[in-house]
Amino acid sequence: MLGFIKKDLLMIKSNIKILAILLLIYLVMAFQGQMSLSFLLPFLSVMVMMSTFSYDSYNKWDAYVISLPNGRKNSVKAKYLATIIIIILTTIIITILSFAVSYVKTNIIDFGSITVTIFGCLFATILLQSFIYPAMYKFGPEKARIVLMVIVFCVAIAGGIVTTYFDLSPLIKILEFINVYWLIVIPIAMILMLYISYKISERIYFKKEI
Amino acid sequence: MDIIISNSSNQPIFEQIKQAIKKAIVTDELKENEMLPSIRNLAQDLRISVMTVKRAYDELEQEGFIKTIHGKGSLVATKNIELLKEEQMKEIERYIDKIILISKSSNISKKEILETFEYLFGEDE
Amino acid sequence: MENILEIRNLCKKYNGFELQNVNITLPKGMIMGFIGENGAGKTTTIKAILDIIKNYTGEIKIFGLDNRKDEKKIKEDIGVVLDDMFFPEILTPNDINSVMKDIYKNWDSELYFKYLTDFALPKTKAIKTLSKGMRKKLEIAVAISHHPKLLILDEPTAGLDPIARNEVIDIFQGFIQNEECSIFISSHITSDLEHIADYITFINAGKIILSKTREELLEDYGIVKCSKEEFEKIDKSDFIKYKKCKYEYEILVENRKIFSRKYSINTIDRVTLENLMVLMIKGEKEC
Repeated sequence: MLGFIKKDLLMIKSNIKILAILLLIYLVMAFQGQMSLSFLLPFLSVMVMMSTFSYDSYNKWDAYVISLPNGRKNSVKAKYLATIIIIILTTIIITILSFAVSYVKTNIIDFGSITVTIFGCLFATILLQSFIYPAMYKFGPEKARIVLMVIVFCVAIAGGIVTTYFDLSPLIKILEFINVYWLIVIPIAMILMLYISYKISERIYFKKEI
Repeated sequence: MDIIISNSSNQPIFEQIKQAIKKAIVTDELKENEMLPSIRNLAQDLRISVMTVKRAYDELEQEGFIKTIHGKGSLVATKNIELLKEEQMKEIERYIDKIILISKSSNISKKEILETFEYLFGEDE
Repeated sequence: MENILEIRNLCKKYNGFELQNVNITLPKGMIMGFIGENGAGKTTTIKAILDIIKNYTGEIKIFGLDNRKDEKKIKEDIGVVLDDMFFPEILTPNDINSVMKDIYKNWDSELYFKYLTDFALPKTKAIKTLSKGMRKKLEIAVAISHHPKLLILDEPTAGLDPIARNEVIDIFQGFIQNEECSIFISSHITSDLEHIADYITFINAGKIILSKTREELLEDYGIVKCSKEEFEKIDKSDFIKYKKCKYEYEILVENRKIFSRKYSINTIDRVTLENLMVLMIKGEKEC
């Protein structure tokens, strides 16, 4: 199992230079404009993990891995565990950088608002990944990318429609309620989402004709 | 010991191995009770299949040239010069058969053949 | 357990292709060459052995164990080189070592690095920068560095130049110096297998049409070349297949010695796997 996780992390490591440059550019932008660093979090971790899927599929690792002991069982699990590691790492980096940027720019650390945005972004990241991984296993990275775009597009449209045409006050009440307990509810929701997604992906992979 | 394998020869590879080992035994290059290379080693060195070497060894054993001790390998059996000679004689007879066949089909007389033989053999001596 | 690999009645249906009742037996310590045209079912068979494909029927036993039930145990002792399937190409040989040592119980880093040195492979360059031959050699090094007992190789010499092919074949022969080890190797480059394989199994259009020892096939089988008149005199039960060429008949016979005793036809050649393949596929046999 450890070996399979290592494989994903080593792949990401081999692209570390490009990632560092990306981060640097974003950092400069964050200093100059209004751009919040937190939005980098979903972007970075999703992109990084998507690239591992692409390489896997390009070199047919998904088939090769089955020839290894416990390959079929562990490769999906390892992908999710690697994802969690990457999310934690990016979250730490982004959090530190956000504080730093905020401190340099305004001389004060707005602890509350930064934490909230990062928490929101973290939620979005996990939501996105939970949706996209089963699609990756089902359709492969090429088609899954289209699926990803369709999801984002639909969510945006739906969001637009809902906010324009419906009365959202009861929902806001729920959100306010959650707000109090968000420290508990959101992490549980995130773990649950990932777990369900993992189970679905595993099923798809086990049934898949490679 | 030289074992030269020709791929284009019409003679099977296992036969070529047998011949080479027999020759080494006759010329005393391989002494009595001397170990032969292991089947797998010889196969690798000659770049041929294990089965081929095994077939050669099996037949050599059947013919009494070598013996195989389980778990140890094969070694040259107590030499039986008569057996070797008999073996070679059989081989020569096969060739003579061929000579007779060709000479009959092309009307070459026995005398002519014998003359040619004398000539070639004598030159060799 | 004398047979390292046993396949019984393997069937698998695809759209437009079917693997029909494939039976294969590979004894311990032997090399089996698995030959056939491209698309004959070689890769599908190998994928079934490794349980990569799904929905196949039949029984596959490796080391006497069921390939699905005892999957983990079996795979610890198998090394594979698969056509076109490998580690993601941005990884380096060094990376592969650190991954594999956590995957195989018996992974031998020292041995792996020895192979890398022997094959003159760089340790820290990404796989994608390697030439095709180097990449194949890397795949082979990866396949044998955990001391497997069975190597399953799908077209391991495809795309290699003659020098590299030679080196690779040397490695395989070195591998079976241990009598416990066997190799199942598929190839359409028949000359590679002609000398080193102990058994030849021949698949065509999803069916096994021949499975014999190398000795039987290449030393006993023969190709008779004769005229039409001569051909007509031959008993139909004395040959396997025949092919009518422009100036001659080519006939595949099971034992050239027996045949030459019975008939006075002089041209009987030993077969090569290549002309055996051609005659088996293109030849006719009327019954």
